[in-house]
Amino acid sequence: MAVLSKYLPGAKKAREDHFEKDDPRQYLMHDPIPRGQMNEMVMESMHATSWKFWMVFGILSVLVAVCFFYAWGYMIAEGLWVAGVMRPAYWGIFLVNTVFWIGISHAGTFISAILRVFKAEFRRPFTRAAELMTTFGLIQAGASIFMHLGRVWLSYWMFPLPNQRELWPNFHSPLMWDLLAITTYVLGSTMYLYLPLIPDLAMARDRSTGWRKTFYRILALGFRGTEGEWRHLHTAMNFFAFAIIPVMFSVHTIVSWDFAMAMRPGWSSSVFGPYFVLGALHSGMGAVAIVLFIMRYTMKHMDYFIRKEHFDALGKLMMMVSFTYAYFIFNDYIIQWYGGNLATDNLLHWLEEGPMSWMFYQMILFNIVIPFAVLWIPKVRQTPWLLAVVGLLINIGMYWERYIIIPVMLTINNMPFTWKLYEPRIEIYLTIGTFALFLLFYMAASRLIPLIPVWEVQEGQMAHTMRKIGKANVSTISDFE
Amino acid sequence: MQMTVDLNRVGAKGAIAEAAEGKWGMSIDRDLCTGCQACVAACAMENNISFVGEEDAGYGRTQHWIRIERFWEGAYPNVKIAGGYQPMMCQQCGHAPCEPVCPVFATPHSDAEQLNLQVYNRCIGTRYCANNCPYQARSFNWRDYHTMPERGNMVNGKLVFPLHNQFNPDVTVRRRGVMEKCTFCIQRIHKAQDKAKSEGREVMDGEFAPACAQACPADAITFGRIDHKDSLVSQRSNEGRGVKHLEDLNTLPRVTYLKEG
Amino acid sequence: MSEKITRRNFLKLTTAGAATAAIMTGCGPASRYVTREPYVKMPEYTYNGLSTYYATTCRECAAGCGIIVRTMQGRAIKVEGNPQNPINLGKTCARGQATLHGLYNPDRVENPVRQGRSAPQLSTAQVSWDEAIQTVSDALSKTNASEVAFLMGTAPDHLFDLVSDLADAIGAPAPLRFSALSMFEAQATLSKAAEDLLGQAGLPFFDISNADVVVSFGANFLETWLSPVAYTRGYAKMRRSRPRTRGYMVHFETQMSQTAAKADEWIPLLPGTEGLVALALGKLVAQLKGISAPRAFASVNVQQVVETSGVSMEQLTRVAELIAESHAPLAIPGGQALGQSNGLAAAEAILALNALADNFGQPGGVLLSPLAPNSGAHRRPANAQEMSDLVAKMKSGKIKVLFIHGVNPLFELPQSFGFAEALHATPTVISFATFPDETALASDYIFPDHHGLESWGYQRSQTGVMQSVLSGSQPVVAPNYNTRATADVFIEAARLAGGKFAQALPFADEVEFIQSKIENLIARTDGSFIAPEINAFSAYFQQHGGWWASSAESDSLSAANALGKSLNVSSVAASIGENEFFFLPFVSPTLGEAGANKPWLQELPDPTTTVMWNTWVAMNPETARELGIENDDVVRIVSEAGSVEAPVYKYPAIHPNAVAMPFGQGHTAYGRFAAGRGANPTDVLAPSFNEAGDLAFAGMKVRIEKTGKQQPLSRLESRIGVYGEGMYEEK
Repeated sequence: MAVLSKYLPGAKKAREDHFEKDDPRQYLMHDPIPRGQMNEMVMESMHATSWKFWMVFGILSVLVAVCFFYAWGYMIAEGLWVAGVMRPAYWGIFLVNTVFWIGISHAGTFISAILRVFKAEFRRPFTRAAELMTTFGLIQAGASIFMHLGRVWLSYWMFPLPNQRELWPNFHSPLMWDLLAITTYVLGSTMYLYLPLIPDLAMARDRSTGWRKTFYRILALGFRGTEGEWRHLHTAMNFFAFAIIPVMFSVHTIVSWDFAMAMRPGWSSSVFGPYFVLGALHSGMGAVAIVLFIMRYTMKHMDYFIRKEHFDALGKLMMMVSFTYAYFIFNDYIIQWYGGNLATDNLLHWLEEGPMSWMFYQMILFNIVIPFAVLWIPKVRQTPWLLAVVGLLINIGMYWERYIIIPVMLTINNMPFTWKLYEPRIEIYLTIGTFALFLLFYMAASRLIPLIPVWEVQEGQMAHTMRKIGKANVSTISDFE
Repeated sequence: MQMTVDLNRVGAKGAIAEAAEGKWGMSIDRDLCTGCQACVAACAMENNISFVGEEDAGYGRTQHWIRIERFWEGAYPNVKIAGGYQPMMCQQCGHAPCEPVCPVFATPHSDAEQLNLQVYNRCIGTRYCANNCPYQARSFNWRDYHTMPERGNMVNGKLVFPLHNQFNPDVTVRRRGVMEKCTFCIQRIHKAQDKAKSEGREVMDGEFAPACAQACPADAITFGRIDHKDSLVSQRSNEGRGVKHLEDLNTLPRVTYLKEG
Repeated sequence: MSEKITRRNFLKLTTAGAATAAIMTGCGPASRYVTREPYVKMPEYTYNGLSTYYATTCRECAAGCGIIVRTMQGRAIKVEGNPQNPINLGKTCARGQATLHGLYNPDRVENPVRQGRSAPQLSTAQVSWDEAIQTVSDALSKTNASEVAFLMGTAPDHLFDLVSDLADAIGAPAPLRFSALSMFEAQATLSKAAEDLLGQAGLPFFDISNADVVVSFGANFLETWLSPVAYTRGYAKMRRSRPRTRGYMVHFETQMSQTAAKADEWIPLLPGTEGLVALALGKLVAQLKGISAPRAFASVNVQQVVETSGVSMEQLTRVAELIAESHAPLAIPGGQALGQSNGLAAAEAILALNALADNFGQPGGVLLSPLAPNSGAHRRPANAQEMSDLVAKMKSGKIKVLFIHGVNPLFELPQSFGFAEALHATPTVISFATFPDETALASDYIFPDHHGLESWGYQRSQTGVMQSVLSGSQPVVAPNYNTRATADVFIEAARLAGGKFAQALPFADEVEFIQSKIENLIARTDGSFIAPEINAFSAYFQQHGGWWASSAESDSLSAANALGKSLNVSSVAASIGENEFFFLPFVSPTLGEAGANKPWLQELPDPTTTVMWNTWVAMNPETARELGIENDDVVRIVSEAGSVEAPVYKYPAIHPNAVAMPFGQGHTAYGRFAAGRGANPTDVLAPSFNEAGDLAFAGMKVRIEKTGKQQPLSRLESRIGVYGEGMYEEK
């Protein structure tokens, strides 16, 4: 059994008073409580449902019914003219939403898989919350793609279904790759969400009655916690954690290829693949910060699980991602600008001086300048609401980024006679609808499945001990695997 | 010293397309084009193109398969239209950017006519082809413009559309949600080919013309086989004034524009 | 036949050749959405899947272009040019193409109705055709002949001939024919000038195709002018038909029209100075040629012309050099130059410029248009003065019955003429309108005529060809509605009235009348076909789409008359005051005078501004900046006669002291596609006339008022890409 030892993150900074001096119990891993009690806390967080919850839930349901289902049905019945898409912006907010939600969905997998692979301990309480974002985000992304289609009722033609004329889909098309990549990602990430959920579902099964018991019994697949089951589960989780990472990178690279493969000024750029992956992480991290903030302050007992240290670690990650993002955006634009191609030149003028330039500048402000400026400060990182605000700004910035890449850049092409500015119409409602649906899913999930991976936290708490090495009090972790 | 680049060596797909038999092409003399819109009207009448109404037309949703572009040059009083009017339509590229991107093969390349086809009933409306068209020559059916109720009359409690009587039965009426574009009046090509076949001969140069070329009062549009060196369109295209649009993109367009002057 | 074409039926119908095309272009779900109306009387001679082609004549303007209409299953599918017809040689303009949208327009007068002046609604008080004919008959026979007035359009000619014969025989005043096009082209002025200088009234033929320098004074011959398809062909030949010679074109016009845009040089000048510029050019050309200036040009002061017109001395000299060095220069007087108070003198000055270049009767010069068969006297459209006289007569109650066909004076005549009040003062107004236009709706009865494609008839060529042409019309489809040919109505009514009326029109029907008119052509051997007797001749006439002389005719012309006349063009372009502008109405090149109800014409972008579906006020961007007006700001244009409101288009190619506005929109009726759309520039025109009686419409002084309203114009062009808005704009 290997033992890792490290200094606690805050130990050296104890004097700065953000962490209480030398008290290891401020860290979740060193603040163990009995398993039964923790299980009860998590169960209670699922059951404790106030009228506020139902009010928000009700409002969101109405929003989903009106802005998602009714608006979409209206658009299907009326045709795409109720949307704002036109020549030359044949693609509009629907694809902005797709890219945005796929971006959001990235952080879940990233936090969970990469941090799991690298054994980053602070991940333990919020992997589940992040993985749920992946699955629910992908649902919104998929819905947005279908909204975008002119004849959505024929969308199954994109699948290689047997048919009389033996027509195949076109595997040359980036959209086809996209479809395959997203489908793979949905399946993979759902599996990856489900596997670590099994022990918690089993825990919930043992502590529930009525329909919940049936629900958990079916989902827990008869998990009893024997050593053999744990071994199989760990193997499977490890396998998926490694497998999902390349899938994640490929998905957003392929999403970027929808644009980068096209023969258009501004789009045809070889840096788009990594740029999009990083952009996705950027918005995803911000979204995780918001979700953690909401969880901590709205759900019972969550202040035990989600602590300053987690926001602090997340803030550092966000800062790093924001640096990398700045590098990519610089790399993208400097090359476009230096190339001096006429069409690209027009495009850059349009971004810098056109009516949508405010969006361009806001994007730089929110995605680069503000994270740069404030995430250095530990106080900001460790104040949940401040980090959530930064996360929100990053998400707005990233939404603008996708908006700029799709409808704003589509305005400028090789035929100046056709340049026209896109105005969203019904898209605004449908965007509200997808956001509401995402939140609704999340709220429903918070009542149905444990948002905290209890067994992971317990595993971590068991592995962590404080040891005295010389004069220093050092946190050590024993490796179970 | 003049350097020539053999486009056929540029890309395998381009080479195949360039070497192909049966290429139909067009030349447009910008010196002659008077911008009169007769081609636009003729195209609309031949191909059942819907009009979209004031608001949608101004918002970039016109369905014109051919549009006449004009740009200004200079300032008053020495202002003029830069290079003359420029009719723009699908260039029927030999190496078309619109073709590979369709996920359902609704934009295949026709081997027989060497045209970019648009299969309306296969199209699901991803609009990727239109995005990738450097000429912005494609138009999308944003709604069923043909059957908008305000265009019909109530007759005995039933909505009838007198304007539908004009539809050309050789051309599909597109419903909403599908992409469409200039076809070089493929229905006329086929009619001429069938006629020639039944008479046991080849289609003659100038035997037929697409609606735009047929209507053009200034005879600015010439249509024919560009793989036949002696056809009128080949002669006009090669007379020295010919330029192709966005040639640097290696789309190998089949339309040659003849410069002014 | 079922009312909806199902996929199966569709395939059945499109046999043989069409089937290939149908499969290629797809015959799937989309075709389910097409509804075709039942065609109750399917002609027996149609074959499923095969098209039938009919030669006939386009009636969208008076040029008389021959068209061939493709029909299928008894429906007109497509208009194509008649390659044999010398006027258009197989070509068409946009308006000709869209004529099918008139034929199948959802707003047609479907039945004869007792309208009872119940504008703006089309009355539903249907009458039978028997009653209708009785009404016409009574109106003819129970009114004093001198109190009957006929007001006709410029097309078709056969009906005008019939009505003329009728009016002659019963002693009624000769019928008037009018169209806004003839008003804006100042045809009467051109005709008068031609009479004075060439010795023959009517529209001369300008042989653009053989000219090597064309100097056009506002003649928009690529748009609507006289015979646009023929002159566009001339333009194309001028540019490209001769080896190593590319004709050069200079265009003098206050604003850049579509035609001016195709000129090598567009020279803006103040409206009303075109004649002066022509005189100055004549003087300079004479100097350059080293001859003493002929009398026509002797009196002009070139320096003064430079000052009043705004054309610089360098420009004048350069154009004069071009003319002097050219082998075949040609000066063309256009509507905007002639529709001025000095219009007649201007027309003569411009024609005299041709005389100076010695191109009268020469290839590439001015020639006499050969008279179309059976022209008799040239039956030119009424000028505005004559219309004004008619209005005065109507107002004073001297007209008891007014028959109107093919013209919409409530829309086409300036409001200041008071045609509305004149209609009010006329006890009986009978309209034969095909469409529910403003005048028809203000009538007592509408007895709808067939659409042009459902009608018999003929149209004479006026100009544009050097052959004598009589374009023939025949129905290409059976009438869609309960309409009747107006000629038949008059023939029937005359028979019913008996006596001199019946004697005036002793024909069984319209076709017999037309045959009687073309009978004399059988004897001619120089025509496009020869037939032994009238039935065979009529058949050929229909088959070929008319009759025309097989070779060009030209008469020799003397220039002496033109040069010897002393010309004095008064200057009208006096100074304008603060916030005063010259107002230039022009006929919309895509809509023409009556295209507003054809939706595809509405959807065609204007060639110069690319505006669709609306009217605009073209204003120089500098002027707009000074006035603080932006694109799409609605301005009110106020003249002494009235005012009109329309959004501004900042047009870079117009004189800063002028504003221009297209004519063609601003209907209050005329169907769903036209009504309530745009504005009518004739609302601000005052009734002032030139010496030839034409309306002095160009360069009227107006004020511009801001309204604070905005109305976005639908443009095809991109304001970003074409004008750099939001990108390269000066901030």
